[in-house]
Amino acid sequence: MSERYDVAIIGAGPAGLTAGIYAARARLRTIVLDESVPGGQVKTTHKVSNYPGFPEDVHGSELSAAFARQAERFGARIRRSVEITAHDLSAFVKTLELDESETVEARAVIVATGAKPRPLGVPGEDTFKGRGISYCATCDGAYFEGKDIHVIGGGNSAVEEALFLTQFARSVTIVHQFEQFQAEPASVGEALTNPKIRVLFGHEPRAFHGETALEALEVEALRTRERKRLQTDGVFVFVGMVPRTDLLARYVELAPGGYVETTDAMETRIPGVYAAGDIRVKRFRQITTAVADGTIAALAAQKYLR
Amino acid sequence: MSAAVEEISANQYDERVLGAETPVVLDFFSTECPPCEALAPKYEAVAEQFAGKVRFLKIFRQGNRELATRLGVSGSPTLLFFKSGREVGARMTGEDIKRSALKSAVEALLP
Ligand SMILES: Cc1cc2nc3c(=O)[nH]c(=O)nc-3n(C[C@H](O)[C@H](O)[C@H](O)COP(=O)(O)OP(=O)(O)OC[C@H]3O[C@@H](n4cnc5c(N)ncnc54)[C@H](O)[C@@H]3O)c2cc1C
Repeated sequence: MSERYDVAIIGAGPAGLTAGIYAARARLRTIVLDESVPGGQVKTTHKVSNYPGFPEDVHGSELSAAFARQAERFGARIRRSVEITAHDLSAFVKTLELDESETVEARAVIVATGAKPRPLGVPGEDTFKGRGISYCATCDGAYFEGKDIHVIGGGNSAVEEALFLTQFARSVTIVHQFEQFQAEPASVGEALTNPKIRVLFGHEPRAFHGETALEALEVEALRTRERKRLQTDGVFVFVGMVPRTDLLARYVELAPGGYVETTDAMETRIPGVYAAGDIRVKRFRQITTAVADGTIAALAAQKYLR
Repeated sequence: MSAAVEEISANQYDERVLGAETPVVLDFFSTECPPCEALAPKYEAVAEQFAGKVRFLKIFRQGNRELATRLGVSGSPTLLFFKSGREVGARMTGEDIKRSALKSAVEALLP
């Protein structure tokens, strides 16, 4: 069975859902496909303070749901928890196979598959994932009620999520490789004055240890090269993201770091295939920049389809 | 809720998981957990596919903290696989549990 659309959007994060809003309002038959539930990275961000239109902070899950509702209101179809098991994006009519059972056809495809957490790549990380190591504070924070935990990283996500984790944990120690944070001054100030937060600057994680669950984090002081083991009940890792370009890798040459090069109209090298959001080569990756990309991609696709 | 997936609580663990005759998949889930929401339809679809051969159970983490701690489960969702009363294979956890990967993991439980 095969269903025909004008535009198929892969990824229901801020970029894909915004593309969905614009495409559906342009009366294009629009489908948005996601292997998860809508929202992308935003759905698990506990609060967003810098997205315009929300003078008070907004929960990432609420913002995600609002994006999705808005796209659906104009007729975009959102398919959740579907896996793209085969695809051909180079033909004039592009085809996507879903869960080895259905086929979606569309003349334009917008790839907005975003990014996922970058693993640290140190010994023990795979073993203790879900046994003490987490990449999502909103998902797993409650497991660490009254516990002493560590957060790895020093950018916006690390500092913001560390603050969130103080709701549950008894103490949160942030381990960061540099001598100062790379986050917005507003949240840095909050973190440095929070009584539950301690900071270990100039240290990098080297290994995770434990029996069946995580028990200790081994760190190295970058200046002295001295290593030590820190007892821990849990470690949250926020050391950046990696683009999810496995789907596009077959069609285009990826830029260093795995990002996709586009024109300023979000066009890739394949006619009718656009890329938007965090997967693109660009300077700043935020919700506002992702929604801008999604807007442009949908408008460009609309022109292409005419 | 599909009939293919049954919810249990910690006091049924010994009987329903360890004592089961068929292989068992156990899903630790939480509320306010988008990755759990994302997994649910995939879990049900795979459960239906293996109905009668493999039991698919789920357990609410918030209501069964002790068992989660005892099993070293610290994140939702986490899938554990059991055969003849013993945990086997690698656990699956977090956001990107693919339906195809789950299917392969379940196939590996069968003789
Ligand atoms: C912890 C954290 C906090 C943040 N806080 C802020 C903040 O306060 N303000 C801000 O502006 N930005 C913040 N960001 C950054 C912001 O979330 C991202 O820039 C934005 O979400 C990027 O949007 P996107 O649509 O490009 O990609 P994503 O949000 O990554 O969405 C991509 C979507 O594509 C889906 N997908 C991927 N591959 C496939 C596939 N093969 N098939 C089907 N679906 C697929 C994914 O499931 C996902 O839903 C934060 C990020 C993190 C991690």
